[in-house]
Amino acid sequence: MEFEGCSCFRQRLVLSTLSGKRVKIRNIRSKDDNPGLRDFEASFIRLLDKVTNGTRIEINQTGTVLFYQPGLLTGGAVEHECHAQRAVGYYLEALLMLGPFMKTPLRAVLKGVTNDPSDPSPDLLKITAIPLMKTFGIDGDGLEIKVVKRGVAPGGGGEVHFSCPVRRSIKPVHLTDPGKIKRIRGTAFSVRVSPQMANRIVDSARSVLNTFIPDIYIYTDHMKGQSSGNSPGFGLTLVAETLNGTFLGSEVVSTPQGQGDPVLPEDLGRNCAKLLLEEIYRGGCVDSTNQSLALLYMTLGQQDVSKTLLGPLSPYTMEFLRHIRDFFQIMFKMDAQKPGEDECRGGEKVLVTCVGAGYSNISKTIK
Amino acid sequence: MEKKEQKRHQHKHSGPKAQKKNRKKEHGTEPEQDERKRNPRAFGVKSAVRMAKTFHRAQDIKTKKHHIPLVDRTPLEPPPIVIVVMGPPKVGKSTLIRCLIKNFTRQKLSDICGPVTIVSGKKRRLTFIECNNDINTMIDLAKVADLVLMLIDASFGFEMETFEFLNICQVHGFPRIMGVLTHLDTFKDNKRLRKTKKRLKHRFWTEVFQGAKLFYLSGMVYGEYQIQEVKNLGRFISVMKFRPLVWQTSHPYVLADRMEDLTDPEAIRLNPKCDRTVSLYGYLRGTFLKNKCQVHIPGVGDFSVADVSFLPDPCPLPEAIKKRALNVKERLLYAPMAGVGGLVYDKDAVYIDMPCGHANKQQEEVRPTTELVQSLIGTQATLDVKMAASKVSLFTGTAALTPEEVQENGKQNPMESLEWDEKAQRERRRAVFADQDEEDDDDEDDEEMSDEEEEEEEEGEEEEEEGEEEEEGEEDEEEEGEENGEGVATLTKEDKTAMEATAPPVKKQKVEERAEMPVFADSDDELEKSEGEETEDDESDDEMEEGKPVKKSSGPDSGLCSEEDDDDDDDDDEDDDNEEDGDEIVNSKMSSKHPEEKETEDAEMGYETAGALQWKEGLAEKATEAYLRQQRAVPNLRKQVYGTVAEEGEEDSNDEEELGGLFKVSRPEKSKKVRADAMDCSRFHPDSSHDWDQEEMLASIRDCFVTGKWEEDKDAATLLKEDDDLYGDFEDLETGEVHKSKAGNKDQAEGGNDDEKNDGGDDDEEEEAPQVKFDDAEIQKNKRLEKKRRLKERFNTQYDDGDATYFDDLKEEMQKQAELNKQEFEDMDDEVRVQYEGFRPGMYVRVEIPALPCEFVTNFDPHYPIILGGLGASEGNVGYLQMRLKKHRWHHRILKTRDPLILSLGWRRFQTIPLYYIEDHNGRHRLLKYTPEHMHCGATIWGPITPQGTGFLAVQTVGGIKASFRIAATGVVLDLDKSVSIVKKLKLIGYPYKIFKNTCFIQGMFNTVLEVAKFEGASVRTVSGIKGQIKKALRTPVGALRATFEDRLLMSDIVFLRSWYPVSVPKLYNPVTSLLMPVGQKDTWGGMRTLGQLKYDLGIRNKPNQDSLYKPVVRQVRHFNALHIPKELQKALPFKSKSKQMQAKGKTPRDLQRPAVIREPHEKKVAALIQALSSVYSYKNKKAKAEQNTKHKEFLKQKEKEDAERQKRLKEERKKTFRAMGQKEKKKLKSSLKGASKDN
Repeated sequence: MEFEGCSCFRQRLVLSTLSGKRVKIRNIRSKDDNPGLRDFEASFIRLLDKVTNGTRIEINQTGTVLFYQPGLLTGGAVEHECHAQRAVGYYLEALLMLGPFMKTPLRAVLKGVTNDPSDPSPDLLKITAIPLMKTFGIDGDGLEIKVVKRGVAPGGGGEVHFSCPVRRSIKPVHLTDPGKIKRIRGTAFSVRVSPQMANRIVDSARSVLNTFIPDIYIYTDHMKGQSSGNSPGFGLTLVAETLNGTFLGSEVVSTPQGQGDPVLPEDLGRNCAKLLLEEIYRGGCVDSTNQSLALLYMTLGQQDVSKTLLGPLSPYTMEFLRHIRDFFQIMFKMDAQKPGEDECRGGEKVLVTCVGAGYSNISKTIK
Repeated sequence: MEKKEQKRHQHKHSGPKAQKKNRKKEHGTEPEQDERKRNPRAFGVKSAVRMAKTFHRAQDIKTKKHHIPLVDRTPLEPPPIVIVVMGPPKVGKSTLIRCLIKNFTRQKLSDICGPVTIVSGKKRRLTFIECNNDINTMIDLAKVADLVLMLIDASFGFEMETFEFLNICQVHGFPRIMGVLTHLDTFKDNKRLRKTKKRLKHRFWTEVFQGAKLFYLSGMVYGEYQIQEVKNLGRFISVMKFRPLVWQTSHPYVLADRMEDLTDPEAIRLNPKCDRTVSLYGYLRGTFLKNKCQVHIPGVGDFSVADVSFLPDPCPLPEAIKKRALNVKERLLYAPMAGVGGLVYDKDAVYIDMPCGHANKQQEEVRPTTELVQSLIGTQATLDVKMAASKVSLFTGTAALTPEEVQENGKQNPMESLEWDEKAQRERRRAVFADQDEEDDDDEDDEEMSDEEEEEEEEGEEEEEEGEEEEEGEEDEEEEGEENGEGVATLTKEDKTAMEATAPPVKKQKVEERAEMPVFADSDDELEKSEGEETEDDESDDEMEEGKPVKKSSGPDSGLCSEEDDDDDDDDDEDDDNEEDGDEIVNSKMSSKHPEEKETEDAEMGYETAGALQWKEGLAEKATEAYLRQQRAVPNLRKQVYGTVAEEGEEDSNDEEELGGLFKVSRPEKSKKVRADAMDCSRFHPDSSHDWDQEEMLASIRDCFVTGKWEEDKDAATLLKEDDDLYGDFEDLETGEVHKSKAGNKDQAEGGNDDEKNDGGDDDEEEEAPQVKFDDAEIQKNKRLEKKRRLKERFNTQYDDGDATYFDDLKEEMQKQAELNKQEFEDMDDEVRVQYEGFRPGMYVRVEIPALPCEFVTNFDPHYPIILGGLGASEGNVGYLQMRLKKHRWHHRILKTRDPLILSLGWRRFQTIPLYYIEDHNGRHRLLKYTPEHMHCGATIWGPITPQGTGFLAVQTVGGIKASFRIAATGVVLDLDKSVSIVKKLKLIGYPYKIFKNTCFIQGMFNTVLEVAKFEGASVRTVSGIKGQIKKALRTPVGALRATFEDRLLMSDIVFLRSWYPVSVPKLYNPVTSLLMPVGQKDTWGGMRTLGQLKYDLGIRNKPNQDSLYKPVVRQVRHFNALHIPKELQKALPFKSKSKQMQAKGKTPRDLQRPAVIREPHEKKVAALIQALSSVYSYKNKKAKAEQNTKHKEFLKQKEKEDAERQKRLKEERKKTFRAMGQKEKKKLKSSLKGASKDN
């Protein structure tokens, strides 16, 4: 399969790895002043190479053409130094997609920037993606994301441990009713700044959310010394949990040191709370960051009908849907669900339905 | 046997028993008391162990019955069941098929060629296929068979083919197998017949399972089997149930029953060996088939499908199931390869099978029709002209559009390639899109329309023609033939209706859409148009999109293609219905619509009709609005994702300006270059329009929280009320308050509620039509149903679920899933449905495959099955496969590593080079030179990636029959990988050349310093068992090294290093292309030869090792040295141990020599006398001694005898005395006891 440009770079490579189809990406930033693959993309390719066996990667001299022939996913213990241009979440998202289809359970150690404004942080993935994976039957004590050291952009120096058990097939899901939100939890972290920052964040966030629900608890997480990375920063991750076990999350991180105006912790807390409200407004059984993950697992499920209620599809998800069609020939049926006149339950939802591809983990050994 | 009427029990009305009973009755207390209570002892626990055992046993039996529950994925209308008729040659396979077909359809087939599909019952269709004796065919058919009829020649007994086939079946999932014994009439002797039957039956049972069905066909009547027996067999077949096989249920496959070459004839003319494009037809089986997927054609290779489309079922099941049996019209037969059921409808053509002989006669008789056809053929070329002339009016009352006008929008036109269709005797046009654009279809449509119009006429005529022709052909035949003719006639009629049922809707839709587009011109169409002007980059995308349309439209003419985007929309669209009237005026074709269809369509869009009418009347402005919004919402979302590449978020698209409330302005999209290199980030940035400081915004999500308002059915108050309803009135015992159920009130409230709800529903319908598609009655009904369901659920949770096990839960879950699978896409149009699901099993599909080797077409032989086996994700790739393998116990020879072997794995048959290995205790894979005799071993091959757990079988050759039992090995795939870990043992030998204390310099083990460096720290050993370690390389001589040992070495020691050398697996993956072989030689595929075979063929003999040659044995005489004891030692030795070496006696010197004594004569005499006397004496002595001896012996004997006597006597004596003593003792005891008692 041939693609152009480096957008959706991860999607393409991940889907290629899962479907076994080789991919050629041309014109990667060919018109750019600095053409070719960026360092973080190269780092991503290296990570893929580490978790697979027999992968063939060819990049031309300028780095504008990439040929990727996937191998088989092996997993095992992997340690990867993520490039500081993108946060660990960039890599972790791909690993979440590949994790259950390895030969041996994956135990990845990702080092680099844990929190930056562009990528979902491991904290967010931990509280939203992990419960989501559990609904697909990927559970057991092995499934875990742990932030051992926190490193904020631009310096990095964080460390995240991710382990994932192996599954032979994925269960179909029927997530059509998100249920009502019963509690809100969150983590406010601060590194290399005053520990008071976290408390200030918490207060401001609570002030916004308290109008809706009293059951709010936001942990403060101040890391010191070794585990605090190289740059100062602070941030907040919020998650709303519903009665039916849906987790909607949001997060905001302070602007990296030396890049733009610094933010006040109060503003950050309020912003994050508003983001959470936005997320709740969008609604659905899967929050906007994990839409593509849920869609992937639905695609790779058994040959049964899966249904999931999503909020409005993000552009990234739409792109992902297109790629799923290209790689797996699976189309999703999408029914828009508009809220009623009198009910105040956020915006328009999309009920996506698909028949799984009947994918089975071909890497797993049987004895 | 009639049952004897038994006398009923007479109750006693008088007497003690009756009295007893009466008494009981009067008392009225526990007349039927529980046995357990009445007699607790009888039911008490006697032995806990025993109880535990019985319990365990009961549980075991219960659990053994369980199978892992699977989701039932059988489609509503299953594909025909594949029945493979297998057996050695001349056993009666064709006869059996013929008889069965005749039994089911009353038709006679002369030649069984390829699969034959028939309708056997109300719910069942059968596909018969004959399996010849080629092992390739056997392997292929075993993979697709649902039922195997295994024919066995009873007069001969089992043949190897039967067992081979059984083994093939076993490996590839065991389909149902039914044995059929033929040639039973050759037995004249009844007893022998019986015995043979029994023997064969038992042998068959051991192979299949105990009690496997074995059928007996006793004899032939006029070259056919007896009708009754065939009928019985047919019954068995038509009620048989099948178990799902893993491979078959997880892969789509098509057993092609028709093949057509679509290659451009010009290309063939230029290069007869050019790759061909071929379309294959058949029922889809297994699972969903996706368009553009990869397929494997066993015997040819892997191909990617260019296009799949579904066609009307050529052999449909009867529609109405009211009657008990099928009538003659419904007994259809479809066998294109066998040349029956001659009329075949394709999406773009009708094919008629015309026997040459009849064709001429036909020509004369049915001149007018043929003329018309001829004229059509003639006019075919002028279609464009026709098209140009044709006009379509979009609105009633507006000016008609000419194609030129329409074409202005489009940029590219389809290229036309003409093909001469041999069968239809006409030229067919093929629309070839150089670069398909969605735009084209508009004008293409018109073309299509007129084309189809004509075609319809044509078809009609052809049908007639066909019918007549058939009758003509069959006239000379007898009764049977007439039946046949009738069958065909009915078939044509059936097909006609089928045609009408299926094809027209397509047409009609097209027309509608054409008309509809300008009216509602929803934004997307505009988008598409604008896209036509986009840069080249978009075109690649467009092509991708095109894939989906093609999937549906099936034909090379993509008239439908690009439109399908619209027509998915319009299954929700009301326009269809609105426009219907208009359309009918515009196009008379509409009137040809079947009333039935209309109904179904109306039913489909029932909810819309109401709205549509309103709109039409122009009464409710609201409805229109809702309409538009809906139109925008649902299809847009789909289109946004899959249709045109719309990169703006959906908000943007919604924000698009509207012109006149109907038309939308489409803007050119942002340049793609920017997008192509966009940042790869999964964050979804919030909508800037939402300001979360505002109260309204906050209020809009208030209900998402538990603190917000709940739905009516889940609201706490409602639930409470329902509880009241459920449990009725109760009294609070503490307060004494009586709660009454408020049924009446409630009803009222409910009614009020309902009204409200209804109003709400109406609103809903207008406002949010996509979700709420029911009218009021339905809403109410649903509500009631929902309520009932909830009540039931609650009841169940309270009473039933106590003993529900995990298994039950699992089963229920599966059941639910199966239902959902069935329902989800049920009411969708097939065209749309195939996009979501893929083509579902049971559909009759046409699969177009490009770039097939020309031999496939030129060497086509319908006797060999063509199977399209769908491949799953990454099953098209190649890698290393680790498998567990066992040499078949009936195969004569063990298998050698690196000898090529032909494997049947998944769909594929391929030749590869396996390496055999065995796993050591530490997990090391050690190479084996040969497979073990009776044990499993591992095997690694380079081959196609196939899911783990798939079984395979191996044969050494597929060409001819050389081995007595061809299946060499069987096994299962364990692991897939891209690298191998097989090692073989390597011993490196070196010799010490300098020995220090425990250190030693060794040479001869390595050749360079580098090699040594690699092995530093490795452990070495000497033959005598002294262990050591390699320390460092020495500079000179090269390859020498220093090693330390645990003891001092000798110069004569040999040092060796044991290591493991990784072996690489040869990358040979050679698919068996047996279908490409010339006709008649298809079973002669050779492939790579083994080394032994090669040497044998070329006459090469290895030079033997000199050491292993025999030489004459020369034995050397052994020579021992004398024992030498040092003098000192000898001196020290005690005399006894001193070596008794005598000096060899030399010659005695003369002085020591003694003189010889010579006797005097007298002395001589004396000596002689004394000699004589002494000999006499000694003789006497001897004699006396002997005598004495005998006497003594005699004496001893005597004595012994006496002794024995004496002993005996003594024993007697002793016995007597002891007895006496004993008695005395007893007496004494007695007396003493007596005395004691007396004393007492």
